[in-house]
Amino acid sequence: MSVEGGGKGWIGASLLRKEDARHLYGHGMFIADVHVSGVQDVAFVRSQMAHARVVQVDKPARHAANVFVLNDIQPVKILEAGPELSAHRHSPYPALADGRVRYVGQTIAACVMPTRAQAEDLADQVHVALEELPAVVDVVAAMRPDSPRVFDEWPNNSYISTSVVEGNPELLGSAAVRVHRRLRLNRQATVSLEGRGVLAYWDHRLDELVVYLSTQGGQVKRLALSRMLGLPEHKVRVIAPDIGGGFGGKNRIMPEDIAVAAIALKVRHPVRWIEDRREHLLASPHARDHTYDLTICAERDGTLLGIEGDIYIDAGAYALWPTGAFQEASMASRNLTGPYRMRHLRLDAHTVATNKAPMGPYRGVARPGATFALERLVDEVARELGREPFDLRRQNAVTAAELPYRTAAGLKLDTGDYIAALDLAREKIDLPAIRRRQVAGEPDGRKIGVGFAFYTEQSGHGTVEFMKRKFRVIPGYESANVRMLPDGNVLIYVGVQNHGQGHETTLAQIAAHELGIDPGQISVRYGDTAIGPYGFGTFASRSIVFAGGAVGKASRALAEKIRRIGAHLLQTDVAAIRIENGMIHGPSGKIGLAEIAFAANARPDQLPTGMDPLLESVATYEPTESGGVFAYGTHAVVVAVDPDSGVTEILDYVVSEDCGTMINPMIVDGQVQGGIAQGIGTALYEEIPYDEQGQPLATTFADYMVPCAPEVPTVRIQHIVTPALTTEYGVKGLGEGGAIAPPAAIANAVADAFRDIGASFNETPLSPRRVSEAVDLARRARGGQR
Amino acid sequence: MKSLTVELNGATVRYEVEPRQTLADFLREQCRLTATHIGCEHGACGACTVVVNGKATRSCLRLAIMCNGQSVETLEGFPNDKIMEVLRRHFHESHALQCGFCTPGMLIMARDILLRLAEPDAQTVRQQLSGQICRCTGYANIVDAIVSAGKALRSQRAALP
Repeated sequence: MSVEGGGKGWIGASLLRKEDARHLYGHGMFIADVHVSGVQDVAFVRSQMAHARVVQVDKPARHAANVFVLNDIQPVKILEAGPELSAHRHSPYPALADGRVRYVGQTIAACVMPTRAQAEDLADQVHVALEELPAVVDVVAAMRPDSPRVFDEWPNNSYISTSVVEGNPELLGSAAVRVHRRLRLNRQATVSLEGRGVLAYWDHRLDELVVYLSTQGGQVKRLALSRMLGLPEHKVRVIAPDIGGGFGGKNRIMPEDIAVAAIALKVRHPVRWIEDRREHLLASPHARDHTYDLTICAERDGTLLGIEGDIYIDAGAYALWPTGAFQEASMASRNLTGPYRMRHLRLDAHTVATNKAPMGPYRGVARPGATFALERLVDEVARELGREPFDLRRQNAVTAAELPYRTAAGLKLDTGDYIAALDLAREKIDLPAIRRRQVAGEPDGRKIGVGFAFYTEQSGHGTVEFMKRKFRVIPGYESANVRMLPDGNVLIYVGVQNHGQGHETTLAQIAAHELGIDPGQISVRYGDTAIGPYGFGTFASRSIVFAGGAVGKASRALAEKIRRIGAHLLQTDVAAIRIENGMIHGPSGKIGLAEIAFAANARPDQLPTGMDPLLESVATYEPTESGGVFAYGTHAVVVAVDPDSGVTEILDYVVSEDCGTMINPMIVDGQVQGGIAQGIGTALYEEIPYDEQGQPLATTFADYMVPCAPEVPTVRIQHIVTPALTTEYGVKGLGEGGAIAPPAAIANAVADAFRDIGASFNETPLSPRRVSEAVDLARRARGGQR
Repeated sequence: MKSLTVELNGATVRYEVEPRQTLADFLREQCRLTATHIGCEHGACGACTVVVNGKATRSCLRLAIMCNGQSVETLEGFPNDKIMEVLRRHFHESHALQCGFCTPGMLIMARDILLRLAEPDAQTVRQQLSGQICRCTGYANIVDAIVSAGKALRSQRAALP
């Protein structure tokens, strides 16, 4: 393990990761690697229709006992999902179909056999009679009064419709510049390379249900399973092993999880289900699928005034527990002013049920859509005014002097320098040079375009923010248990889940900083409800803020006790004691940390009178500002587009970003680069289209394009560091930011390439077909060639 | 069931397999060699890449029985391989892995690239890697790791008498 920046300052060191070795030698333990004797595999019978009555399910007589329908796994309670709002309509989602199926891929029956191949054979023999019903496919048409209904008892297909009215939106009607666009981010999957998975069995010795689950947060899943299965929580143990990517897609309780856990209570052997790629693309939590019908308004001098219009979120057939998809609409509305001084908003946001797979969170949640809509509109206003889009951004962005700034929709943008981020990106991408290159033209006939997008990334938000979002479980804190063993080495248990973020390294750096020891002496553990403290898991760019804060706080409490023991043993005052490099230093002597640890654990006779033994501390942590701290940045991208084939190549990609204090800059850069790769996927490649009958048209990697090494450039990352004022160490979360801005920046760049003919690029992914059609359409409109 | 004999990571082993069982399932479920990961089962993601008769091969697209009499090497089979050791070091130092799920397939393919191409440049490595999906890293650090491993191996060879 080597360190940049010396051995003492662990905060800010690009420490190489402690978690690498097991993966480099193939010793990782992912869900499908967990071996439990006698395990049998599950294959699900899934709906092949988007909307249908389940008339009959015939089990093959020879294996009837191996086929489970809903009645066979009862009792299973359905928990109400979605925000805790009476206006949000209930969409009861059974683990196996209850007489109705509402999307292609919905689970109808579970077949259990010794191997997956045999289970799939059995699934093929289960005959399901479906009576097809009209499918609801288009999100806007779904809101028309004559649309078929996803749920018969609902008055329309809206889970919930909400309005945001801020400032004085009546002014917008008479604005000098009004630009109307319809914008769309299409549906995609989260595509962790490891699919979902669950393995469950009853442990007779411990008398508990053990559920191995590929999840981003085991404690909350245990809560769900306990309530659904009617088991007390101490009889349910959820273990999350190594997780092969999550990105939000593994942070909801899913029907397969519930069905497998319920079957484990009925059979005498362990059962498991490992998601295959087709199932992942069909039925894992889907994402994005935002449609915006918006008018942005501005003064002639370029002052942005506000936005009005409608937002449609295609949330699919059911709300996933706990919170459904409502935060997509609420966050999209509230983030739609971005970093700009826009004070007037009138937005109607509809979270709509359709006959598609249910929507879940995905890296960036709502903000890739809001940023795409806003930043595309800003570019369109600039075009309308004949201005350089960059200059319009700079003119309207909140300045450092104006921070903290309360946006029109009530977000408190905290610290930083947005103008500096814009300018840095402009300088590094060299805007004037690109403008010159465009004038010169390309020898190969391709068009060059440059696009900018600014984003903010709310992170470390706690109780108040999640109360606003009406969450059923409020992830308002994280916890850490820091334990020093008799030899002075440390075990830390946390409630967040590491699935690539490097917590085993960064949380050890924080504890090492507080305890004055080497990170190599510290092990960070997580992912087992039997041993970890309560916590909510890893999502919402929260782990380094919350779990980092909790580890810091618990470590400091431990350090304080160590000092008191040290003062006692060195016969001095505790104020005179300091801890450094594993030693306790007093004015006239020193003592090894290991000796203190041994005394605290194994020689209580050496402790001060009345002091409790052990060196162990549990702390919870929430930042003092529970509305969150905002990381932010500017993405700038240069593309070359073939106007005839519509193929887009990224020539250069620059990010200037500020996530406050970086605990480990190497890991920060890795998150930025990785997030941008996913954002490039959203922008250019990834899409699950549905046909008019509600059949998904991308169910393999042959149809669903994921960016590979040739499509993802090495991003040039620039850091601005403005420590947050309300978090430990001044950190801000940054896991999602990379994925937020690429659709906006890349679409702006493609539009810039064709600004001379006014082609529109308002829908992702910007596939070759979409781009070439847009160019063709614009050429025709101008009466040009072809 | 059919009888299958393979040289697996240097040792001759014999199993009874179903003719339809893929090499990936055989390695994972029968042999319990779980470094070989399954990411798509249709040959698009490269997570299951192993070495068959010296060539990088997608184990999800090959039936186990097709490997009868052949040699198969998985990541578990390279504990002391010189190229793999250099690659592991550079993957670690370049932060070329996050969740680690694609890593075994990446390492097998990277070794294959370095065996075929001495000291490839970044663009070559990107093209050569185009059949391997990584969802976490955005590839840049993986490309760096392979390029720098290629350089390190070249200078090691140059240093030999």
